[in-house]
Amino acid sequence: MPALLVVIIVLPLAVAVITFFSPVRLAKVITVISGVVTFGLALTLIPEVVTHAQLREGSLLRIDSLSMVFLVATSFLYATTAIFAAGYLHLGQGKAGTRYGRRFYAGLNLFCWSMAAAPLVNGLALLWVAIEITTVVSALLVAIDDTDGATEASWKYVLIASLGLGIALFATIIMYYAGTTVFGSAYNLSYGKLLSGASHFSPDVVRLAFVLAVLGYGTKMGLFPVHTWLPDAHSEAPTPISALLSGSLLAISFYAILRYFQIAVRTIGPTFPRNTLLIFGIASLLLAALYLLSQRDLKRLLAYSSVEHMGILAIGMSFGAPVAVVGVLLHVLAHAAAKGTAFFGAGSVVRKFGTKDLGRIRGGIGALPWSGPMLVAAVLALSAMPPFGIFRSEFLIVSGGLSDSRDTVAAALVVLVTVAFFGLSWSTTQIMLSPDVSALPAGSAGSHPLSKGEVSPWIVVSMVIGLVALAILGVHLPSQLSQLLDHAARELGVPKR
Amino acid sequence: MTLNVPSTDAGVADVMAILVLLTEFAMLRAPLLRSQVRLYAFQSLVVTGLAIFVATSRHIDELYVLALLTFVLKVVIVPGLVMRLLPDADVDLAESSILGVASMVLVAIAVAAFAFFAVGSLHVHSVALPTSALAIAAAVVLVAFVLIILRADVVSQAIGFFSLENGVSVASLVVAAGLPLVVEVAFLFDLLVAVVVFGVIMRVHHGRANSLSTEDLDRLKG
Amino acid sequence: MGPSGIPPEGVQALQVLTIVAGAPLVSGVIAHVEGRLQGRRGPRILQPYYDLAKLFCKETVVPEQSSWVFMIGPVVAFGCYLIVPMLIPVLTTYGLPLGYMGDILGGGFILALAGFSVSLAGTETGAPYAQMGGSRAMTFGALIEPTILFVVFVVALITSTDLPYALSATVRSSASEIVRPGHVLVAIAFFLVVLVDTGRIPVETHSGTLEFGMIDEARTLEHSGSPLALLKWGAAMKQLILYTILINVFVAPWGLAASGSLGHVVLAIPALLGKAMLLGLVFAVIDNLFSKLRLFKITEFIAAAFLLAVLAVLVFYAGGG
Repeated sequence: MPALLVVIIVLPLAVAVITFFSPVRLAKVITVISGVVTFGLALTLIPEVVTHAQLREGSLLRIDSLSMVFLVATSFLYATTAIFAAGYLHLGQGKAGTRYGRRFYAGLNLFCWSMAAAPLVNGLALLWVAIEITTVVSALLVAIDDTDGATEASWKYVLIASLGLGIALFATIIMYYAGTTVFGSAYNLSYGKLLSGASHFSPDVVRLAFVLAVLGYGTKMGLFPVHTWLPDAHSEAPTPISALLSGSLLAISFYAILRYFQIAVRTIGPTFPRNTLLIFGIASLLLAALYLLSQRDLKRLLAYSSVEHMGILAIGMSFGAPVAVVGVLLHVLAHAAAKGTAFFGAGSVVRKFGTKDLGRIRGGIGALPWSGPMLVAAVLALSAMPPFGIFRSEFLIVSGGLSDSRDTVAAALVVLVTVAFFGLSWSTTQIMLSPDVSALPAGSAGSHPLSKGEVSPWIVVSMVIGLVALAILGVHLPSQLSQLLDHAARELGVPKR
Repeated sequence: MTLNVPSTDAGVADVMAILVLLTEFAMLRAPLLRSQVRLYAFQSLVVTGLAIFVATSRHIDELYVLALLTFVLKVVIVPGLVMRLLPDADVDLAESSILGVASMVLVAIAVAAFAFFAVGSLHVHSVALPTSALAIAAAVVLVAFVLIILRADVVSQAIGFFSLENGVSVASLVVAAGLPLVVEVAFLFDLLVAVVVFGVIMRVHHGRANSLSTEDLDRLKG
Repeated sequence: MGPSGIPPEGVQALQVLTIVAGAPLVSGVIAHVEGRLQGRRGPRILQPYYDLAKLFCKETVVPEQSSWVFMIGPVVAFGCYLIVPMLIPVLTTYGLPLGYMGDILGGGFILALAGFSVSLAGTETGAPYAQMGGSRAMTFGALIEPTILFVVFVVALITSTDLPYALSATVRSSASEIVRPGHVLVAIAFFLVVLVDTGRIPVETHSGTLEFGMIDEARTLEHSGSPLALLKWGAAMKQLILYTILINVFVAPWGLAASGSLGHVVLAIPALLGKAMLLGLVFAVIDNLFSKLRLFKITEFIAAAFLLAVLAVLVFYAGGG
């Protein structure tokens, strides 16, 4: 079974190469196939990981319950985004369109490959390499539309994210240094080794490495105050890329922080890492909630919602109760599904109305009979409405906080999430449900009634899959998955000395 | 504060590390695209020298390979790529400073001092290079941030990132000289990819805005 | 002290005399080399002596509105330049009588007093260019002050004293003292300070009259006759004093007399002048390679010197000084 790891890491890469040279029509099909196959393979790995705790292939590839969670999230979005992109992409005729299509599909596959590789590689150094690759590939994908906005967003993104990763590289080096006191001057940074020796590392050094890692990878995760690239990149990128950025890339960066967290709690105990994450989490959540209230751009709205959810993840980790950690990991999965679906819906709306401006979109449900209501559902899911997965995960996080007697923080969390809920759902319901087309200024896209009908059936399919997954996560967790989450939470816990 | 006289070895290593830092300071005021790129090449050359120095004095043969790769990549290929992607070598970047040069230097000095005190409080001990080199490396990283924040042109910002990586390289020579070669190579390869991407986006920006300034990159807000 | 030894008081007198007599020579050599580097034949090496002699013979013209300050300024400055050589290792490795009456700061104060009295004498006339020169000299003097202080700090960190003789001895003691980063940085910083204080390119053109860019030189525009001679002589002495500090304290403190024996002391004089001329050569080359900075860019230059001095202290703090 470990050979599957090799398949997962080779398949998207091979597909990326093929799609760069094949006709666009073929590229669409094999990207969908590759996405679905990767997701299927990831699912078949779950029972294996649950029984064996970890699988290794050579010295470079390794998967355990923790990385499995993130692999599932990434591969799920890979599959759904591939389906969505098939319907979303409207390529111009002729050479320009073909070139765009090739670049887009090659980039998409490469991006998903790098994000799938991050949880699969064994060691902090390789993890950094994988995440750096996600940055450079996604920066090109953000710039692919070649508009002024896209250029600006991609420049900010590549610069800020690279700086963050520069800090993360520093963190890697410092962590390596922490290990030299135990393992001698030459060793590799594999997780098993680091975790086994972590209790003997120098606390000061590990503390520094952890803070640098939170700051560095936090930049890519979108934590305040280093989130500034995020709304720009999410709003200017092509919508499939936005979905991947938001649902998967941010989660992968969170995964990197968790790896450092895992080592840090073994060396310096849980208090310091938890408090660090708490500060960043609360600040991010607060900022995002406020920005959500006054947002005028549909995709930026969803981007700030991502900042909000990353803040929730960080706060959840700060609670430390096992149930909260389970909630955090479930939240990663549910957020991937919900945010992906919401972006797909947003993509559908943007295609239909030709604008992202919330003030100029009205009557969405009427124009988009399927994806309209599903977008509303996805947004409600993002706002933690039952019966969807995020409701369950946030419930677990809050109850974990209460059981850990962090009542104040838990209360703050609930309040801020409610504020965010208002911002998010107010804007969405307005564009979707309000039929008042005449109130719009003349000449805007919504002022003349649009024909009723979907942009593409592929978009509807991708959204249905997302909502079904959300419902499964919310209503009834498959037993294998819930075992996986329990194991992963145990891996993140503080070991008994 | 204990004031032991450092050994000659340590002194030479520290002087080289300081040279890296001074180059970083020089970048704060480099007026031309070409001079900025040359400064980066020079800084990389010093980093190469430092790698060779550690390799010789600590007998770590892998570092010779690393030094060679560093030289080829950071002294030859990266500057060459940047110059090739932006053929307008004499573009005047001097106007892109947000502060005057003297004020920038003072800000950077303050930031560098912070790095020194921060590292000084850590009690790090290294076998490969004097600990002060780690403080200098941290200062390089922070001054690179100052450079990126205070210079509003894409070249300085990109070079700022590349030189930040140089700072981390120096740090890795201090505290992680035994880092496996494969990892180092992966880092370098990543840098190369990043350079290409930076270059492509810089070129796109240059093509659209017909300037290297980032002044007009302020449309996206909120 | 051998049988043919000179008494310490005599050596001390010789130190002052060396500076007084040697300063015009060093200036002459530099001016000559500069001329050669620019493709001219250059003035004669002994030209400064002739200039001084000529000025002493000329009548002195005093502006009507000026007071005694105008006349006393050059004399005070010249007196200051006579005192400083006693405090620094000009010829010997050890301190001479009166040699410990002031440390580096003391020497700095005396040099500052000299600069101040020259500026005051220039300003006192009310002539616009002389006033401008005086105020500029004071401004840049104040700006370079922090750098000098940090240089002193580093000297104190290295030697636990602030005596020039002690640092000189420390530098001579081993090779690791020379390559230690704190020392290298502070030597370069002091080099830049010397550039500023002697009014060389890239801070100021020292030859010709370019009123708008002038700093130090403009202060003496109103003087004539023997006060002007004193000022010019003083400027040459200041230059040689600063060179001597740079050479015998920071960069190359070799060739100094270790005892008062006649041979050692006599050899130390040409050694010092030779080293000063070599250093002058470096300055002449810099003069040729760089162009003068605009007045408002001089702060950048000073910032660079400050940076080096601060870094030296920081590296010390990090334990690598």
